[in-house]
Amino acid sequence: MTNSFITNATWAISGQKVHLQLGKAGNSVKLNADTAATDQVRGMIPAEDGNLPEGMRTIDATGKLILPALFDLHTHIEIPGRSKRECIMRAGEAAIHGGVWGMLVLPSSSFCFDNSASLDSFREAVEARSAAEMVPCGCITLGMQGEQQAPYNTLATTRDITILCDGDHAPQNLLLLYRAMQYAVDLGLTFAVRADVPALTTHTYVHPGSTAYRLGLHPCPPCAEEIGTETLLRIAESTGAKLHLQLVSTAESVRIIRRAKERGVQVTAEVALHHLLYTHEDIGDYNTVYKTIPPLRDKIDCEALLEGVKDGTIDCIVSAHTPCTPFAKKQDFINAPEGMVGLDTMLPALYTKLVKPGLLSWEELVQACCVKPALIARPWEQEEGATCEVPLLLFDPTTEMEVDETILACGTLNTPLLGETLCGKVTLPLQ
Amino acid sequence: MKPRKDLLTIESLSDEEIHTILDSAVAMKEIFTKSVKKVPTLRGKSVLTLFYEPSTRTRSSFEVAAHRLSADVTTFTLSTSSVVKGESVHDTIDTLMSMKMDYIIVRHKNSGIPAVIARHCHASVINAGDGAHAHPSQAFLDAFTIREKYGEVVNKRVVVIGDILHSRVARSTSVILRRLGAQVAYMGPGSLVPPSSHTGIPRLRDWDEIFAWKPDVIYLLRVQNERIESPFFPVADYHHAYGVTEERLRRIDAQDISIMHPGPVNRGVELCDAAMDYRNCLVCNQVENGIAARMSILYHLTPATLS
Repeated sequence: MTNSFITNATWAISGQKVHLQLGKAGNSVKLNADTAATDQVRGMIPAEDGNLPEGMRTIDATGKLILPALFDLHTHIEIPGRSKRECIMRAGEAAIHGGVWGMLVLPSSSFCFDNSASLDSFREAVEARSAAEMVPCGCITLGMQGEQQAPYNTLATTRDITILCDGDHAPQNLLLLYRAMQYAVDLGLTFAVRADVPALTTHTYVHPGSTAYRLGLHPCPPCAEEIGTETLLRIAESTGAKLHLQLVSTAESVRIIRRAKERGVQVTAEVALHHLLYTHEDIGDYNTVYKTIPPLRDKIDCEALLEGVKDGTIDCIVSAHTPCTPFAKKQDFINAPEGMVGLDTMLPALYTKLVKPGLLSWEELVQACCVKPALIARPWEQEEGATCEVPLLLFDPTTEMEVDETILACGTLNTPLLGETLCGKVTLPLQ
Repeated sequence: MKPRKDLLTIESLSDEEIHTILDSAVAMKEIFTKSVKKVPTLRGKSVLTLFYEPSTRTRSSFEVAAHRLSADVTTFTLSTSSVVKGESVHDTIDTLMSMKMDYIIVRHKNSGIPAVIARHCHASVINAGDGAHAHPSQAFLDAFTIREKYGEVVNKRVVVIGDILHSRVARSTSVILRRLGAQVAYMGPGSLVPPSSHTGIPRLRDWDEIFAWKPDVIYLLRVQNERIESPFFPVADYHHAYGVTEERLRRIDAQDISIMHPGPVNRGVELCDAAMDYRNCLVCNQVENGIAARMSILYHLTPATLS
């Protein structure tokens, strides 16, 4: 491979201009538990004008950025009706489009990671078909049924599982969860759970407010998530287990997590990009694209969530990528499945909707989408102080792209960005 | 006026359309006084009633309305249809499109279903009630009844009492009355009346506040036990706290207030027996006006099959 110089690129983390020497081992950044500091970028050397070593090429990166690629902590890759191979291939391709080098794959009915065999066959398929790294998330309970604990000692010690999750639903049996957390402490496992009280949210579809009233849809009270958050935090605090709160959606949840972090609970939290960008009012006249779980909330929630990202209460922004077939989303609002796809458009959407309008800095984006999620998922050796090599990407913020069928590689079209023009073009991997 | 294909909500109509439909309902009602209660307006047109939810009153009201306009009416019976065999709404729509119906009158327990059907078929779709969303023909008959009683709707004060949360009637009727210049307030149990910040409609706390508000019409909603999955209020409290008791009926009479109810009435829950015989009880007028309003709605719509 020919080594290259990249000139005039802005390095997002430090904000200073640097030049990168690229090669086989050059296009990556090392992450460790503390930071991803500029000087850990391999092969980054100051370039001097006219000082181009022989056999290397120069890439003009004027006005572009070099970033560590993104890691997405919340993806469902199953596409209803498609083969596992195709699901893996399409999610991998979509991720690379969106600047995402790796993702945590949540268990689902097709990818039920409650045994070693399913993990082995998944990893083999990923190796053969995926352009992106895929980290499987082990099940908390067998078949995600919430009844019997999955053999996660085996999964952790022989199959490198570091995170446990039962899809989008936590086990309702709190005693089971309590004991599972006690058991998992010694293994250092993280529990990724979405806070909820199903008794309050069963048969509910939208946030309580003018939309719920106007459309006659049962409202999903935010207190369900907040009670669930408190409950999970107390169990994690009491057992000493590591907790990762998924899909935080309300302002009060952010405050609860902030207080828990202040008192030293081992907790991390994520927010879906759509919960930062959209509110229940976007549902309009039953637009099922905006049906999500938890539902889209109010503007004050969006603002509090963004504030949480900026002050580090919320550790990461995720896509919550969920492919739904056009037929499924064409149904009425009550019957249509929840979820949006987001991998294909991840970095351009983050840039266009948050960074460009000045709501989020590049430094905050790199922390929330690259550094912290990769550190939570630890897709590498698990020894203390180990580091992770994250590939770099080149981002051109001036190129525009219209989101249409031709650019969505994920296999379905359930994104509100369809038809919109986003700014930014991703080159990943950078070589 | 631009031809309108479907009637899904009151919100989707212009002021002009609302007035046109109400005006022609008056003309339709005159037909009822003739010895032959039928006009040839929709001769040769086919009307299908597609009720996914049990209904006798609304369905027969629509059927009578269609018959009086000389349309051919087909009834899609749920218990014998392929719906019980698991057919999706979409496939049912495809089947109906193949039958080349001109008008489909649909009721469904899920909010938003008539809109899904309307988007995918050429026939005019009339929403005869979808979940807790909308019931526009009920709104027209209610507005028509108030206009008939008082000569106009402007500045009339109407308080809607009961289960607002689950009521498509409350939503559609309050929208049409406010569009026509009336003032609307809600009253009912806290668990069944969404906050006024969500509804945009003031909430009165109790009957004393209602009487102090000086309403022209008290509109009682049916307690819909069949729609309620878990208890929202202690049933034994309802009549005492929210119903028209005999004592309240005397005050209603003294203030010359009218009583309305979409039916069927739960006697002893929303209304005491005496209230049904009260001189200003408009429940039977509502039923009669329902046919005229639905004839007017059918007359007003233009199926895409005809254009």
